[in-house]
Amino acid sequence: MIDVAIVGGGPAGQTAAERLSGRGLRVAMVDEQMRPGGQILRQPPADFQVDRWLPGRGYRALKARLARFEVLHEVTWLGGQSVIGVARSGDGFALTLASAAGARRLDARRVLIATGCYDLPVPLPGWTIPGVMTAGAVQAFVKGQRIVPGRRFVLAGTHPLMLIVAAQVVEAGGEVAGVFFDQPLRAIAGPTIRQAFAAARHLGHFAEAAGARLALARAGVPVRFGLPLVAVEGRDAVTGARFDDGMIACDRVALCYGFVPQSDLPRQAGASVAWSPQAGGWRTRCNAWMESDVAGLFVAGETTGVAGAEIAALEGDLAGLGLLCGLGMADVESIAAPIRARLRRAGTFAALLAEIADPHAVLARTPPADTVLCRCENVTIGAIDATQAFAGNAHAVKLATRCGMGVCQGRVCEGALLRRIAAATGQAVETQAGFTARFPARPVPVGDLVRIAPDATN
Amino acid sequence: MTRITGTTRGPAMRFVVDGAPVDAFAGETVATAMLASGRLRFGGPDESRGLLCNMGTCSGCLVTLVTDARRTRTRACLLRVADGMRIETAGAS
Repeated sequence: MIDVAIVGGGPAGQTAAERLSGRGLRVAMVDEQMRPGGQILRQPPADFQVDRWLPGRGYRALKARLARFEVLHEVTWLGGQSVIGVARSGDGFALTLASAAGARRLDARRVLIATGCYDLPVPLPGWTIPGVMTAGAVQAFVKGQRIVPGRRFVLAGTHPLMLIVAAQVVEAGGEVAGVFFDQPLRAIAGPTIRQAFAAARHLGHFAEAAGARLALARAGVPVRFGLPLVAVEGRDAVTGARFDDGMIACDRVALCYGFVPQSDLPRQAGASVAWSPQAGGWRTRCNAWMESDVAGLFVAGETTGVAGAEIAALEGDLAGLGLLCGLGMADVESIAAPIRARLRRAGTFAALLAEIADPHAVLARTPPADTVLCRCENVTIGAIDATQAFAGNAHAVKLATRCGMGVCQGRVCEGALLRRIAAATGQAVETQAGFTARFPARPVPVGDLVRIAPDATN
Repeated sequence: MTRITGTTRGPAMRFVVDGAPVDAFAGETVATAMLASGRLRFGGPDESRGLLCNMGTCSGCLVTLVTDARRTRTRACLLRVADGMRIETAGAS
């Protein structure tokens, strides 16, 4: 039995680990990636040497924190392993870990879930054609695997991150046919001007976006506003992206409509969640010390609502203090006060960015009935709508259509399904109940669960 | 699909996808090497799907890792290539 298991090696997990180290606690960090960093710092493998990795100013503080974390000796790094289960066990928790090599159990007195977020999936015609990826996927290939995963990219969505990703693709030697914002420019400029004070306090972020825009202009990449992506064209592979005013030839389309929290593990453990505003997704509720309503189960970062790396790091720090407090080890309130103050300041920018990137207009549109909503089981919007008369909730639609029954375990289709049900029933999406989060949270061979190894740290 | 310059990769190696040899470098994921070799299709219904998220969440890149002992469905975006590794994109176990 270890003292604390941290799930997720991003900024939130790192600050929590730093706070917990040096106190004689047994701490382990589990992450699906081989190396820590999270999605924001997807590190190249140890076999690679990269000249000028992520040179942008916005990465400086994050890289410095990661470097500090990587030399912490007290934290056991368990990379390349997925946490597929979190369950109460006695006074603590039993985690189930899995990789291609097999499954094992890890017992911990306390758990911090800091598993980040993923790109909001937006069903649209042609989005199942090979060559459609999320912007996050493209960025992770460039950052961590050092490939440009296509020849000619179209980026489409609502989130300003598109500018950064497009500039990174161009810098890496890729071609970008265009960056297409669904919303008109005034939807970005308006909130920025209205909240000029918050914007001015976070000029670095704007400078970064402006720098990316400049780099794209120099490379001759058009950036356009008010142009929704209507469909992706192609049969066996992407050949183009269709907009209202015509088709853009490309072999990759990267979608960028914002982000939703990873929520399987807190939900599986029984923590209560709430539907996030704007992009949606389930954020886990927590108290001022980042403890969920399952005693001993802490959450930090995007798990509590998507708000960016800076806030994730601050929340991880608070969670670390909360864990220390719960383990009876520190007078933490005085240390926490300045962290809370920084959280409040950072929160104004996160709120502004969420308003700028708001995909509600996209999500309110209904794609044609033959559009696939559930990618794993090939269930169309038409097939789902046909069940609405008798299946008024996600579970019933799942049983009737297999929507959400596939290998993504509903992560890709749940939000879109809940929005369909809300539209059909005239109820608000945040009042809908989602799928039941079940073990295992990631696909694993049944044989591995049968041969599960006991906790070796006992 | 280009490998980015300014990067020193691990040793060159070769693995097998659906019976055909694919070149890769140590440290690359199966997804990376497949994309770099022009392979876009991974799994899903009728093996018709591409990779969507590249972060272990969508399972759209589930492939079958074949060893003498067993066949394991696993996510190509998380699996590191190894010399001689055998991968199949069709046929769930």
